[in-house]
Amino acid sequence: MRLSLRSKIAGGFGAMLLLIVLLGWVTLSLFFSLRSVQRRVLNEALPGLVAVNEIVRSYTAQAGAVRGSLIGSQQTLLERYEFEVATAEFWQERARELFTSGTEREHLDQLIDAGDQFHALVEERIVPLATQGNRSQAFLVLDQQGTRLISDIEIQGELLRTAQEQALAQVEGLVRSRARQALIIVSLVLGGALLLGAALAYLLPRRLSRNLDRLVEATRAIERGEFEPDVQIRSGDEIEELGDRFVGMGRGLKRLQQLALQDRELEIASSIQRNLLRRSIPTTPGVEVVPLQRQANLVGGDWYDVDVAAAQVTVVVGDASGKGIAAALMATVALSFLRAERGLGSPAPRIIERTNEALLDATDPDSFTTVIYATFDVSTGEVRWLNMGHPSPFLLRAADAENGAEGYYLEGSRNRALGWFDDPGLAETIVRLQPGDRVFFFTDGFLEAKSPEGEVFGENRFADALLRHAPVGMDDIGERLVGEVERFAAGKLDDDLTMLAVEYQGAPASVDAGDERPSASGRQRERRDTQTGE
Amino acid sequence: MVAQQKVEIEVVDEEGYRILRPSGDLDVYTVGSLRDAIGRMIDEETPKVVVDLDGVPFMDSSGLGALMGGVRRLREAGGDLAVACTREQHLKLFAITGFGEGVSIAPTVEEAAAGFRS
Repeated sequence: MRLSLRSKIAGGFGAMLLLIVLLGWVTLSLFFSLRSVQRRVLNEALPGLVAVNEIVRSYTAQAGAVRGSLIGSQQTLLERYEFEVATAEFWQERARELFTSGTEREHLDQLIDAGDQFHALVEERIVPLATQGNRSQAFLVLDQQGTRLISDIEIQGELLRTAQEQALAQVEGLVRSRARQALIIVSLVLGGALLLGAALAYLLPRRLSRNLDRLVEATRAIERGEFEPDVQIRSGDEIEELGDRFVGMGRGLKRLQQLALQDRELEIASSIQRNLLRRSIPTTPGVEVVPLQRQANLVGGDWYDVDVAAAQVTVVVGDASGKGIAAALMATVALSFLRAERGLGSPAPRIIERTNEALLDATDPDSFTTVIYATFDVSTGEVRWLNMGHPSPFLLRAADAENGAEGYYLEGSRNRALGWFDDPGLAETIVRLQPGDRVFFFTDGFLEAKSPEGEVFGENRFADALLRHAPVGMDDIGERLVGEVERFAAGKLDDDLTMLAVEYQGAPASVDAGDERPSASGRQRERRDTQTGE
Repeated sequence: MVAQQKVEIEVVDEEGYRILRPSGDLDVYTVGSLRDAIGRMIDEETPKVVVDLDGVPFMDSSGLGALMGGVRRLREAGGDLAVACTREQHLKLFAITGFGEGVSIAPTVEEAAAGFRS
C-alpha cells in the first residue's frame, strides 16, 4: 500500500489526538465517579448517621425525662418527653427515607418497633401507675422493661451505625479502586502517547533524512557520470516515488549520453567521409568536371571520385545501399578499395572486379553499392564506362542553334551492383563525344525523390529539367537540377543527391598535358558540397 | 541513427513455400521487419519464400538489399527467394541494379514460385 507523506504525518498526529481524547474521557469518567461517591456520602451516609444518632439520643432523653418526672413529678419533664417523642418521630421519618432496603431497613424497623413499645410502655403502664400514686411500681416497670427497650434501641442504633460505616468503607474502597484504575489508564495513555510521540519524532525524520541522503547520493552519482544510481527507497510514499523518478531520470540521461556519443561518432564518420571525398578536383585541358553533392543526413551512402592520369580523366559515382553510418561505411570501403586498386595501375574492369571481391568479403549480404566507372580520353573524346547497377548517365548534346537542346540517357550495357555476386559482369559501353557535349552522372536520389503526394521525380522529369536548363553554364546547371528536385519534394529529401557534370571541350592543342599534376592553367575546382536535412 | 519502424507483413502458407506480403514502403526505416521475417524462414524445413511486392508502393536500396540478402541466406540454407511484382518502378530498380538476374521475378506468386531454383 502506498501512503503519502502527508497521510503519514496526519496519521501520527491523529493517533496523538485519539490518545488525548482517551485521556480526557478517563479523567471525566473519574470525575463523575467521584461526584457520585460524594453524593452518596453527603446525601445518604452522613444524614443516615446523624438520623440514627438523633433517634438513639432522643429515646435516651425520653427515658431520662420519664425517670425525672417520676422522681419529681415535674410537668416540664413530661413536656420534655413529648418534645423528644416528636423529635424521634421526625428523625425516624427521615431515616425511613434514607434506609430503604436490606439489613439497614430491618434494623431501622426493629429500632422503631422498640421505640413504639417504649412509648406504649410509658403511656399505658408507667403514666397510669404514676397517676394512681404508685410511683415505686412505675419505677420498677421503667427499670425492668423500659431500660431493656432503650437498650434494644441502642443496640439497633449501633447496628445501623456499623452498617453505615461499612457502607462508607465500601464507598471508600470503590473510590480507591476507581482512582487506581484511573491512574493505570492515565499512565498507560500518557506512556503510549509519549512513546508514539517519541517514535514519530525520532523515526519519521530519521527515515526521511536517510532517504533524502540516498537521493543526494544519487544526484552525486549522476554528477560523476554514473547514470544508474542504486536508489533503494521502500518508504511507500512520495520519497519512494521521487527515488524511482531518479532512477528513471538516470536512464534518460544515459540514453541522452549515448545519443550524444552517437552524434559525436556520426560527426567523426562525417568528417572522415568529407576528407575522403573533399579532394580538389584535378582538371586537365579538354575536360571539365563539376561535382555536386547534397546529403540528406550527416553521413550518406553516395560517393564519387575524379582522377586525371595520362590524358585520361576518370569519373566514378557510387551509391551504397541503405542510409546513415552503415551506408557511409560501405561507401568508404568501396571508395578505398577502388582507389587502392587504381593506384596499382590496373585497368577499369580489373579495378571493378577487385572492388567487388573485397566488398563480398567485407560487407553483409544485404549491402551493395552501385557504381558507374567512366574514363574520358581527352585526345579522342571517347568515353567508356562500366555501369554496375547504376542509373544510366545522361548526355546533353552540344548546343545547336538550329535544333535547340538535345539529350538522352546513355543506356549502354548493364552489369550488376557490387557486393552481391561473384560475377557481376564487366560489359563496357563506349561513346564518342563531340566538343561541347556534357555527360551527367548522378545517383538515384534525383529519380526517387518523392513529392508530398508520394509521386517520384522519375527519369522523364529529370531529362526534361536537364534539357530545360541546357543553356545554363556548367557551374550552375547542377544547382538548378537540385532546386527542381527540392521543390518537387517540398524540401524533404530522404536520399542524398550526387551529380558529376562532365563537359568535353575538345582535344587540347597539346595533349602532352596528360600528367597527374594540374594543368598549366593550374585550375583547381573545389567540390561544391552542401548538406540538407539535419 | 535510424529509428526502426514496422511494416505489416502477412505470412501465407502454400504448399512447399511461404508468401510474405509486406504492406507499406520498404525503406531504411522499415526494412528490418522484412529482414526479420525472412530470417525466421531460414529455420524452416524448406526455406522457400515468395515476397509479394504488390502492397509496396515504394522501395529504396535498403529494401532491395534486404531482398538480395534474403536470396543469399535462403540459398545457403538450401532454399530460395522469388519475387512477385508488377510495379514498374520496382522492376526498373531490379533491372538497373542487376538484381533480376538469377532471381525469379514474375507478375504472380505462382509464376514466381515456379521459378525457384531446385
